[in-house]
Amino acid sequence: MTVTGTTPLSAVAAAADTQGPVVVTDVSAADLAGITKEVARAPGARLADMFADGTDPVMLRLVWALDSDQRYLITQTPIDTDDYPALSDIAPAAFVEECEIYEQFGVRPVGGKPLNRVAIPPPLGQGDIDLPRLGRAPAELPQDVHAPHVVGGQAFEFPFGPVRQVGVESLYYGLVTSGEEVVDLYMFTWHKHRGLEWRTQGKTPAQALFHVERAEGLGAVANGWAFASAAEAALGIEPSAPAQRCRAIALELERLYNHAAAIAALCQACGLAVGRAAAEIALEQLHRLNAAVFGHRYLFGVVDIGGAVVTPDTQALRAGLPDAYGELRRGGEALLATNSFVDRLEATGTVTEEAARRLGLVGPVARASGVAVDTRLDHCYGPYPGQLRLPAGQPGGDALARLKVMLDEVAASVSLVNALLDPVGLEQVGGSDLPGRSGPRSNTSGCEHSANTPVRTRPGRPTGRSGLGWAESSRGESLAWVELDSDGLIRRARLRPAAVRNWRGFDDACRSQNVFTDIPIIEASFWLTVAGLAR
Amino acid sequence: MPQWFIRGLRRGIVTTRYPGHPDSSVSSLPSPPAFRSEALARPAHQRAAPRPFPPNPYGRGAAPSAATVADLLVAVCPSGALRRDGDTLVFDVGACTACGACRRAAPDAVVSSGEFELAATSRSALVKRIPMTAGAAA
Amino acid sequence: MTADIAIEERAAAELRREVARQFGRSLHIRTLDTGSCAACEQEIRLLAAPHYDLHRLGFFFTPAPRHADMLLVTGPMIRAFAVAASKTYEAMPEPKLVVATGACALGGVYPDDAFTYGRVDGVLPVDVWIPGCPPSPLALLQGLLVAVGRLAEKVSGLSFIARSPEGAHEDATAGGAA
Repeated sequence: MTVTGTTPLSAVAAAADTQGPVVVTDVSAADLAGITKEVARAPGARLADMFADGTDPVMLRLVWALDSDQRYLITQTPIDTDDYPALSDIAPAAFVEECEIYEQFGVRPVGGKPLNRVAIPPPLGQGDIDLPRLGRAPAELPQDVHAPHVVGGQAFEFPFGPVRQVGVESLYYGLVTSGEEVVDLYMFTWHKHRGLEWRTQGKTPAQALFHVERAEGLGAVANGWAFASAAEAALGIEPSAPAQRCRAIALELERLYNHAAAIAALCQACGLAVGRAAAEIALEQLHRLNAAVFGHRYLFGVVDIGGAVVTPDTQALRAGLPDAYGELRRGGEALLATNSFVDRLEATGTVTEEAARRLGLVGPVARASGVAVDTRLDHCYGPYPGQLRLPAGQPGGDALARLKVMLDEVAASVSLVNALLDPVGLEQVGGSDLPGRSGPRSNTSGCEHSANTPVRTRPGRPTGRSGLGWAESSRGESLAWVELDSDGLIRRARLRPAAVRNWRGFDDACRSQNVFTDIPIIEASFWLTVAGLAR
Repeated sequence: MPQWFIRGLRRGIVTTRYPGHPDSSVSSLPSPPAFRSEALARPAHQRAAPRPFPPNPYGRGAAPSAATVADLLVAVCPSGALRRDGDTLVFDVGACTACGACRRAAPDAVVSSGEFELAATSRSALVKRIPMTAGAAA
Repeated sequence: MTADIAIEERAAAELRREVARQFGRSLHIRTLDTGSCAACEQEIRLLAAPHYDLHRLGFFFTPAPRHADMLLVTGPMIRAFAVAASKTYEAMPEPKLVVATGACALGGVYPDDAFTYGRVDGVLPVDVWIPGCPPSPLALLQGLLVAVGRLAEKVSGLSFIARSPEGAHEDATAGGAA
């Protein structure tokens, strides 16, 4: 898959159809800035991720999503010295990753903004426990984020967190406010860092899946699928068609419950108790449906490397989905007819199309700002039918547009599940000859193995192979990159849930002419997790 | 607002009657395993039923080599909830994520306990000792 | 030695009675996330949803630790979180309860290492442990009721040994092998 010579874009063009959906190309450190500039300027190119691995030299990898070409382009650059040209000047979306790479690998971007502490918590000063890093420790620890302007006059800083409201994840942000208007907001994102990428090292991909699913519990299927397909690409295997459909059904169920939860949170933030109750009834129904269909309320343990562990109880799905969907749909219609609620969302937390593109936002947040990115359409993977039609999004970029996008996607997800249920393969694998059909967990007969038997796509041992995987989570594109050693153990795994991407739009949205009390609404309309960000 | 009122009336009461009455939704929840003592000391390769399809060598169910069924269960548990102590299988219900890996690895030795009321006032009350008594089934 | 255990058990029973007297009718809960994956948080939020409605049982969520009787802790207690966790606990008035929620908090997901304590009791004294990944809202309800002494603890009486009758005929070779 590695293509050398000429420029990456011409390499992509030359790769044509023979190269598959991922093109890897080498870029020298000297060419890095120039080539990044060229790719960033190309229409339809979006910097999806940037990460490093190794120590001597540190290998810097940029993942570009060329959405109109249905391809990912990975440029890999060995960094022999301690620094490289700052890329966030060219592609502003790279700033968070530049900070993270400095913390984890000790290589510094030259000429960019001052670096922030984003990933690894500060030393605790007790017994000098040195936190493990993926590479070399930086020469000097970066400092916490601070307001980029002088606070004085009418504005003051209001620290909020890390312990927040009931049933809400821990997050610490500094709020600069004049009393009502939000002047600035900056986040401290390292509190929940659990070293998950570090934890996967030396494990088999199947062992690592346990932690990958628990990196972000509300994105277990999407992140698990992205990770599994990265590992599959590295191993040279492919899941069977029934297994792909099984994953896709789980993924849509995950999207449904996440959107229901987001709508409930929006109602709570607006103080609309009836709306919240309606959304929570639908949410609980969807969780119960998950448990009945896949044996887990949060769909943990569905995805496997090379397949799917459990097959869905299609009968329970057909029986339960219309009811839960009807509840959510009627709730959504009533919400859009409740003027006090709609007024509260309108012009709240606006993300402009320009900002969404500049920051590389994904998922419903991007789609509500007029940036139609969806890996189910833009990057072929999984079992999605060729004529897949999904809602394109909404203009406006405010919380109301995000709500409308979610409601549209709920309807689309239900019809997608029904389409995925139709093919005969799933029915056969779902096991019609089983005695007790109370739940998939009770079936331990061989039917699950047929879905879980991978197809070999490449002969030979998986020696030092790597692969990229992706899936469209309820929050947007989830990416994973896995490199295996000659024993098939993970040398480096990169997890990039959609939350990592979209949190960088959150402070922007809060800053845009909003007042203090809008922040819970904006947070609910983004519906991100801190766990996925800090992983 | 009237549409909310009508909605609420039409919806009726959904609230569980737990703890006064059992709740039917628990039947599909994952629950920690329960072990058949008599099956734990058997050689791991002795399976109750032949598998019609080859197991996935890359997946979570890929069974490592193990001498006894108990060792196999310890090896497949992703959360370290199982360990062996001589002729006893020590099961930490607190560490169990009810993922079902043990049940899939040895369906003849492990069943679902169906328990969900698992709160304990001491951590040690969650650590269970399962004797590996061979021949109990005879 | 046995005398010590008897004294401890008496003290524990006395404490349970006292907790039931103090908190049996109404209890205010503060939640604390020390590194969960967000699934436990969602289950906790659902406790207040119409399907579970924990208010009917006299439980209430409170945003301030100063008003809280119980700290519902999720996550493996990230080391960077120890200060925030201790401060939250100290801000609560006496008497107070700590409930560790979910497999992370009980030591099933993360080990005791440089990033996490691996268990909530690395920092806070835990009164009740609720297993599950994540514990369902019903499991949480049972845990809350156990914590205030309104339901008896069930798990200490369970053996997790399957004594199913089909064991004898399901595998005819078992007898021969033994």
